[in-house]
Amino acid sequence: MSTPAAAVRTGAALREAAVTARANWSITASAAVLAGALAAIAPLVLGGAVATDTLASGAYLALAATGLGFCVGLAGVPSLAQGAFVGTGAFAAAHMLRHTALPAEVCALVGAMAAALLGTAAGFAVRSLDPVRVAVGTWLLSWLVALSLAALPWLSGGAQGLVVPTRRLFGLNPTPLVHYELAVLLTGLCALAFVALRRGPFGLDLAAAARHRGAAAALGVPMERLRVAAFGASAFVGGLAGGLAVQLDVVADPTAYGPLLSFELLVAVLVGGATAALGPSAGVIVLGLIALAARALGSLASVSGSRFQPMLEALLLLAVLTTGGSALVPAVWDLARRFLPQREGRHVAARSGPARPAETLRAASLTKHFGPVTAVDEVSFELRPGSITALVGPNGSGKTTILRLLSGAVPADSGSIELGPNDLTTRTPAERVHAGLVRTLQARAYFRELTAREHALVGVDRTRRNGGGFRTLFSTPLFRAENEEADGRAVAALEALSLAPRAERPASELTGAEQQRLMIAAALATNPAVLLLDEPSAGAAAADLEQLIGLLASLRARGIAILLVEHNQALVHAVADDVLELEQGRIVRRTPRRRN
Amino acid sequence: MRALAAILVVLAIVASSCGSSSKSGSSKTILIGVDAPFSQSPFIGNTIANGVQLAADQVAAQDLRIGDSSYRIRVLRLDNALSPSQAVSDTRRALREHAAAIVTDGTGVDATWQLAAKEDVPICITYQGGSRLVDPEKRPNVFRIAPTDHGLAFRLAEYIVPKGLKVALLTDDSDYGQAGKAELEDAFATLSKSVAARITLPANANDLAPQVLEARRSGATALLVWARPAVLAKTIAAARSSGWNVPVFSTPAAEDPVVRQQLADHPSWVDGLTFASGRMTAELGTGPWSTFAASYETAYGPTYVGVRTREGQRVTAPPDYAMYSYDFVNVLAAALQFAKGTDRKEVLAALNEVSAHGANGDQRGFNERSHEGVVDDDVYFARYRDMTFRPVSDDPLSSTLPVIAETQTQ
Repeated sequence: MSTPAAAVRTGAALREAAVTARANWSITASAAVLAGALAAIAPLVLGGAVATDTLASGAYLALAATGLGFCVGLAGVPSLAQGAFVGTGAFAAAHMLRHTALPAEVCALVGAMAAALLGTAAGFAVRSLDPVRVAVGTWLLSWLVALSLAALPWLSGGAQGLVVPTRRLFGLNPTPLVHYELAVLLTGLCALAFVALRRGPFGLDLAAAARHRGAAAALGVPMERLRVAAFGASAFVGGLAGGLAVQLDVVADPTAYGPLLSFELLVAVLVGGATAALGPSAGVIVLGLIALAARALGSLASVSGSRFQPMLEALLLLAVLTTGGSALVPAVWDLARRFLPQREGRHVAARSGPARPAETLRAASLTKHFGPVTAVDEVSFELRPGSITALVGPNGSGKTTILRLLSGAVPADSGSIELGPNDLTTRTPAERVHAGLVRTLQARAYFRELTAREHALVGVDRTRRNGGGFRTLFSTPLFRAENEEADGRAVAALEALSLAPRAERPASELTGAEQQRLMIAAALATNPAVLLLDEPSAGAAAADLEQLIGLLASLRARGIAILLVEHNQALVHAVADDVLELEQGRIVRRTPRRRN
Repeated sequence: MRALAAILVVLAIVASSCGSSSKSGSSKTILIGVDAPFSQSPFIGNTIANGVQLAADQVAAQDLRIGDSSYRIRVLRLDNALSPSQAVSDTRRALREHAAAIVTDGTGVDATWQLAAKEDVPICITYQGGSRLVDPEKRPNVFRIAPTDHGLAFRLAEYIVPKGLKVALLTDDSDYGQAGKAELEDAFATLSKSVAARITLPANANDLAPQVLEARRSGATALLVWARPAVLAKTIAAARSSGWNVPVFSTPAAEDPVVRQQLADHPSWVDGLTFASGRMTAELGTGPWSTFAASYETAYGPTYVGVRTREGQRVTAPPDYAMYSYDFVNVLAAALQFAKGTDRKEVLAALNEVSAHGANGDQRGFNERSHEGVVDDDVYFARYRDMTFRPVSDDPLSSTLPVIAETQTQ
């Protein structure tokens, strides 16, 4: 492509982006811009009341807290290691500044990269742990970093810290005011990135995984990879804050990055609002007010205010957690919304995705042992396109285990699984979903606060090509174009399960039967060749059952192969083309019921 | 509503009077920032600040006149919490408020001296003794009035070695201990035959018996402990509880009330503990010190150690570290008068020219080549007996010093 042609295309893309931004501009965006402007002029407004270097330190703290939002807000993972990442960035940058002639910004970036490396490693270590274990594990990492700094004077500079030479920052004299404005700018950019990622596939997948890991895994969400990425991003921002703050402080202080800092950052995020882009910054402001209150208390008791500060912070966190109260920014936003005109929902037309070739699933000699128990024993069958195969049997006969083997939730001890020409036997669940094999869970497993449309989008995300983190962050033309298509396909999936009118309702507000259908819609949105349904009629009323029968028939008519694990004989009789009876992990009877 | 308005007016008046005005009526104000670990080491922090405040009050009482103006000194307490970055923040605040000088325990001086140097503000260290903290050439605005680690180490070596003792050098793994370790290595470099062992004490360990046992097995006949007060107490407890009545030598850390408090259940274990410190009296006798100590006690009351003698008398701690910060304020006042004004550059230069009578009777002052207010020869030795200490008689300097009263009958 010639340079002028590229320039013309770039210009057109930018114009289109601007039009889209204007069309989507909301009162939230105006409020955020106002908050940013107020933050930028704070040193002028506050005058001598608060020192600019104190404001700048606070702004870097806000940057680190906003970074922590990637972990806590997006991934729902309570990381207590952000202080360690800030410290890593600070000391890496300090050593670069002391031992190289690199520009100050580059040194800060090196600090951020070092922190990102540690964060990625930490994320990898805790990628599959539950939130409590993540909190404990990251808390230990905080201690490890703090103790390492205390034990290694050559690294930390000992009691005097590591003095950092001052260097110009983006060509400017690095005064506290320059640091403050830079910190505010970076915090704003970080908050924008948070919003972009939250709205995109990355955020939606993480939100789903945070709310129901099993259901998200069944839909092929690569939770562990996303968690590692969230940790890495969080640590990068924390490290950047540390790498710049250390230049403001002119010393890398080994006592400043202990577990208490990690705790304070988490408190800031939880109090301000983990799911709101500006929540962490608001939380940092609250912590600043707490410091003032602690100082006042300290002067009343004739001791240092620093003795009261952690206590007040802990009390505030307890209050927020135990009273179930909303965090600051979401609470304010909920209040404001009552007085603001509601925006009309955008109408999105249903779109069909690319046709997937009809393929037969072949399971051969599948076997699974759990200790001495043989749960599945040499099971073989085929699922033909446009057919419904029912898998029936008493409890404990191995029905759900077969679904788990097929979906990849547990590996088979022996046997093979092929979908068309593809051998899926050793593939991960996410790879199987990508290949066209998707499963729903037995229980009413859904993503509580996500809307029906977002549920379907989680499914659609599995088929996206241009929904990666980079494209999401910069909202590239390809990303935007694919977004529209994804929205249309989500609507189509909801329509197929008669849920389109409920698209904008949170899943928790749907009926039990609707929630079951919603997860089928999400699975359908992955554009599957094979659908594994685990007791979709559980808890359904008679009317719901009739509707379900019709819907399953329509899915069969689309050419999808369905494996139905079901106790409800009426449903089996109504829709099954073949019935496989299981006993003690073996197929004991095959009954063809209908000829296609 | 009217009550609220009245409160606001009162607050506004109070706030305006709290501002750092440089002029109040006909007198002007000179601000001295005291950056010390008030929250982490309150004994040290308060001792330093009290010394500054006492001198400030006395200067005000004597009417400090420079030219036609009368000056009073205001003290700004800043808590560095032993954190270098907090020390930087405190220094910035002191500079914003136009402090004429900063008195510190030494925390964060590596980072803060440059900030202060840009504005020609002197920093005086009155507690930490690290050698590299003070360097008249590289850090022309950093001064110290406190015994140096170097001086303590060499005095300890020259006191212990002639006794024919084989000494185990015990240093803890804190920064204080590690700095001491380096100085002891230097001091004992040519005296290796006198060193039985070099052992590191884990500062956070509850029981130091293994380290003390290692020292005993090395053939040591004396312990030289350079560690934080709590670690020193644990070391003594480990030695004495095993029945090892070995002589123990230490640094000014032994003066800290914590040592005696932790050994209060076994007062006899403290007996014989010998330490090096800066002398409280000079050739002029006890007069200057007694005057200073009485003024200090009048202003702040006695500093009780929290233990009693065998006869039931309450033990008090002499304010020797307050003496150093007190002395610096007097040297600063002399420099202000020498400079005939408050021009910072000139005051900083004047600090190299003037001296003042110290609280112990010594002349305190600096010059262009030395910013140390306590010379190494001023280090004396004291030994505990019955929870109080007195100068030793087997050291030429110490033997000439009088005993300072440390008890109160109650």
